[in-house]
Amino acid sequence: MSHLRCENVTVCFGGVVACDNINLEVPEGKIIGLIGPNGAGKTTLFNVLNRFQEYETGHTYYREQNVDNKKPHEMIDLGMARTFQNLNLFSEQSTLDNILIGAHRLIGNAFANMFSLPGARRNEAALVDKAVAIADMLQLSGELDNPVKNLSYGYRKRVELARALAAEPEIILLDEPVAGCNEEATRELVDIVRHVNRNLGVTFLVVEHDMSMVMKVCDYIYVINFGANLADGTPAEVRADADVIAAYLGEATQ
Amino acid sequence: MGDVATSAVAARPTRYNRAVTALKAQFERQNWALAVLFFVVLLIFPALPFVEGWMAYQASLIVIYIMAAQGVSILTGFTGLVTVGHGGFLAIGAYTAALLMKYTGLSVIPGMIAGGVMAAFIGCLLGLIFLRLAGAFMAIGTLGFAFFIGSIFNNVPIFEGRTGISLPPNTVFGVEIDDFGFYYVCVLALALITLFVYSLIRSGVGRAFKALRDSEKAAESSGVNRLLYRTLAFSISAFITGVAGALNGLIVNYVSAEVYGDIWYSVDLLVAAVVGGSALLFGPFFGGFFVAMVPFYFEELRDFAFILKGVVLIAVLVLAPAGVAEVIARPFRAWRRRLLDKARGSAQTVEAEGARS
Repeated sequence: MSHLRCENVTVCFGGVVACDNINLEVPEGKIIGLIGPNGAGKTTLFNVLNRFQEYETGHTYYREQNVDNKKPHEMIDLGMARTFQNLNLFSEQSTLDNILIGAHRLIGNAFANMFSLPGARRNEAALVDKAVAIADMLQLSGELDNPVKNLSYGYRKRVELARALAAEPEIILLDEPVAGCNEEATRELVDIVRHVNRNLGVTFLVVEHDMSMVMKVCDYIYVINFGANLADGTPAEVRADADVIAAYLGEATQ
Repeated sequence: MGDVATSAVAARPTRYNRAVTALKAQFERQNWALAVLFFVVLLIFPALPFVEGWMAYQASLIVIYIMAAQGVSILTGFTGLVTVGHGGFLAIGAYTAALLMKYTGLSVIPGMIAGGVMAAFIGCLLGLIFLRLAGAFMAIGTLGFAFFIGSIFNNVPIFEGRTGISLPPNTVFGVEIDDFGFYYVCVLALALITLFVYSLIRSGVGRAFKALRDSEKAAESSGVNRLLYRTLAFSISAFITGVAGALNGLIVNYVSAEVYGDIWYSVDLLVAAVVGGSALLFGPFFGGFFVAMVPFYFEELRDFAFILKGVVLIAVLVLAPAGVAEVIARPFRAWRRRLLDKARGSAQTVEAEGARS
């Protein structure tokens, strides 16, 4: 069953066509890759999918429900969380607080919260426990009270993933999760993504430039170039696709 | 499905977390002890030997300014929105309480609640307009609001313009109160509001405010409804300033457009929030004290008071942009951070040894 789907989506910035009739389908419970050369429109497509970006034509569907008119904060209520390519953390705040904001949709009644009523305090304590457990899973528990600005780049990427997980999502959009990470950190992240996918049934859509990571972790891959669909298939198919090789390495000239 | 934390990994607090949690609980107890001590001092202040009658009025003014600045700090400090128009809410609070007292005989405590509620109601309506404006445009919009409110109070007959509305002496539960009685009402209001602000900024709602302040995009993608939460912040902020406004009018039994018709209150409140430090719970206490005391010392030289406020504002912005409170808190925070680091270090050693054996 399709978890997330977009149909003929077109986005223009002035005269530049960032997305040109893009089609994409993410099946339930799979890890889907989205690759393409720089400027291909991957992040724009992410912004379309979590509704930061308006589009001229086309439709997006979440579990076959049309979400064209949803706002970003409504997408997370449906079950979609995301991370950002250039990190969007609350850098002055602690790791724990950063993770907790991800659980915003689970805070319950705002007024009970504001006055710290007993029910809200119990709920808050439960959210903190969950945040600590997520931090444990991502090996962040040593940094819980550290402001995020003090963390290394790789750790900050993990905090973003932890924040996304705190929302208890059903699908997570990862925008370049291992960019700037060394081999070991990349391997750990792959393990975490696999773990969450296998054991919790969370669907993933991953934008990534690290091809070995994409090929290893993804069940299916979409390739876009100049804002348009170029190819799609299993990692083996995509790797062998002549168009994809040409897009990445350039056309062989005679 | 989807319940990541509970189904994947049971919450298993490590040694590190236990040590740090205990230390943090201890810090919180210290904070509470300090706050309680502070309010006890405020309560016994009138009984101190050197206190004279006029001090009750001046002390009440300080408390009122602190409250009004707390209202501003919810917006500027915790939600990241600039307001140059909170004098408007102060005026709305003052006139609401005054009119209700004049025409319905409402007394101080219901009057101050009514002042807060009216300010919050108008704040909510305005929020829906202003919060669509960004950054400097919002500042200009709120400034326009302050001018607008001023001219309403100057010209609409029921507010009696510069003649003003004179009020009967204040009563609490039917008993007439003097300046010291009024001071206690102010301190009670300050205690309740401080408790509320404390609860608010530590709750999920306060977290959402801070998230909107630090990164709108991340906040929204985490499910924070930007317009709803900003309107909420605007209303709460207006409520608190409205309560302060009601007390500000009732303390002199008189409100007039002479006082509330221009924007000086708005400027004063912003100065109080910025100088004190608006992202800290106790920042407005310093700011409110400063703004209330400057005109007191320079009663004869009114213009000099303005100059001094301006100079101090600029000095704070250059030397300590997070406010005086942050500078004072800095050594304490560093000390606590050292204790936390130590707890973390020793807990990790113990854990590593536990794992080895």
